[in-house]
Amino acid sequence: MQKMTVVLTLISWIILVVYLMPFIWLIGTSFKPIGEWGEPYLLPQNPTLRNYVELTTGAIYGVRGHFPAIIRYLINSIITASVVAMLTTLFGSMTAYAIQRYRVGGTTFASWILSLRMIPTVAILLPLVILTRSLGIYNTLTGLIFVYPVIALPIATWFMIGSFKSIPREAEEAALLDGCSELEAFYRIVLPQSTTGLATAATFAFLFCWSEFLIPLLLAPSESAMPLTVFAAYFSNQYGILWGPLSAAAIVIAIPVIVIAIVIHKYIVRGLTLGFIR
Amino acid sequence: MKIRAVTWLVIPALVMLLALVLYPTVYLWGMIFYSYHPARDPYPFFVGLKNFGILAGDSEASYTILAMLALVGITIPTQLVLGSLLAILFTAKNTRGKLGLRVLLLIPMMIPAVIIGLNWKMIFFSKGPLNGLLSSLGISPQPWLSEPLGNPYLTLVSLAVLDIWQWTPFITIAVMSGIESAPKEVYEAASLDGASEIRTLWHIVLPMTKGIIVIILLLRIIDSMKIFDIIYTLTYGGPGIITTTFPFQIYKTGFTLTSVHPDIGYASLMALILLAISSCVAMIIMRLFHIEKLIWE
Repeated sequence: MQKMTVVLTLISWIILVVYLMPFIWLIGTSFKPIGEWGEPYLLPQNPTLRNYVELTTGAIYGVRGHFPAIIRYLINSIITASVVAMLTTLFGSMTAYAIQRYRVGGTTFASWILSLRMIPTVAILLPLVILTRSLGIYNTLTGLIFVYPVIALPIATWFMIGSFKSIPREAEEAALLDGCSELEAFYRIVLPQSTTGLATAATFAFLFCWSEFLIPLLLAPSESAMPLTVFAAYFSNQYGILWGPLSAAAIVIAIPVIVIAIVIHKYIVRGLTLGFIR
Repeated sequence: MKIRAVTWLVIPALVMLLALVLYPTVYLWGMIFYSYHPARDPYPFFVGLKNFGILAGDSEASYTILAMLALVGITIPTQLVLGSLLAILFTAKNTRGKLGLRVLLLIPMMIPAVIIGLNWKMIFFSKGPLNGLLSSLGISPQPWLSEPLGNPYLTLVSLAVLDIWQWTPFITIAVMSGIESAPKEVYEAASLDGASEIRTLWHIVLPMTKGIIVIILLLRIIDSMKIFDIIYTLTYGGPGIITTTFPFQIYKTGFTLTSVHPDIGYASLMALILLAISSCVAMIIMRLFHIEKLIWE
């Protein structure tokens, strides 16, 4: 029995490490100096922070011309993702409450919102590019904040439907009997009870916006609004492939996501399946 | 009739989604009867049903639909088998560190897809680690992103590897929750009957998780029809159009105007077709899931 435990545990962990090897390789490369980028060994022989430092200064290894510094793009990503997360959690929880407690819109409305999680963004982006252009918000943070809810709002709404469902109705019903209005019951009684749900929904919305690539690729072509994801793709297109800074940028994008994922790991499957699986 | 106060709660979200989804859909319906190439035409002009004719004779577009379906066909079964096997291993009674395994498994699915594309571009690079590993095993290096094993169509498999890598953990974690939520009595009863742990899993517990697996698979099918980011960063649809799937073809036709029939009206028609295909799958999902139960019971 003891032997079995050792064998199975060892096999499981070895498989996991091998499985994660591509990502581990990315981490390794981000610490390699320029001569070692393409070399087939994992650990840098002369580890360096230069890739990270030069991301912030923008002058990557001088020779290949000027690179924009990462800070602006980082700020763009943080602003859009945070604002959209707050906005969609607010609107999503309002909608979720009306649907879950009062059946507003019935099954049709609920299914419609759910189906929005499933539509391919590329199909509806053409008109949205034209719309943002005519509203004068093309290539601005406002434009991204305007369009991102198409992915974030359905997720936040469905996540909150699940949260409200698990909150008992007694306190609310008592308040209603005491002459409290339906909206007051929502703000004063239900919302304070669902802080965990709200925080998790906001986190999910944040993660989806942080990872989004296609929308900003088409709506934010320049520095003024471009987020990190589009910026990172830069490294392999316009200037050849700069593996070191590319890896460093990829790590900068991935680390916050991974940290958040570990913190909310209990809710991830539920979030990604829109509450179908708990 | 007086509108109930709670109805107002849905208004902001409803207005937003109508602007972001309904308006574009209506716009696309209008555009399919027009032709417009920004560099060529001063403004869109009416062409009637011409776009339908182009589509009927567009072998490139039909290839991209096939490529999209092929990608779904490669990724989903592989993820299912690999994911379930991993789940069985990771939930075995004697495996230690289950929480650690589960949390670390989240990493691939949480990394933005665009980063995964860049990461694997490095892995597949002609002098990259994968070829380094192969040559140390005495196998000749392969051009993974142009014609692995001498067959350019196998680049689709290279592309599929990324999606498989990213989303197999999703299946694993879901099946793990399924297996762990099976009542202990099931195992006890089975072991009293002399069934081994593996047999119990295979014949009793896995069938019990069928519901979960179906849901996950349908969501995966929908998502793998949307694959875009990893194509953009890994292959940009190449070599030729081999890894260009239907959504990527829409991008090339309507946005970069680099496909065989670059035209915004024509791209709108393809976009509507993609919407129709994914709506069909979405409708199946909705039917299967009993939304009423999910929300209100």
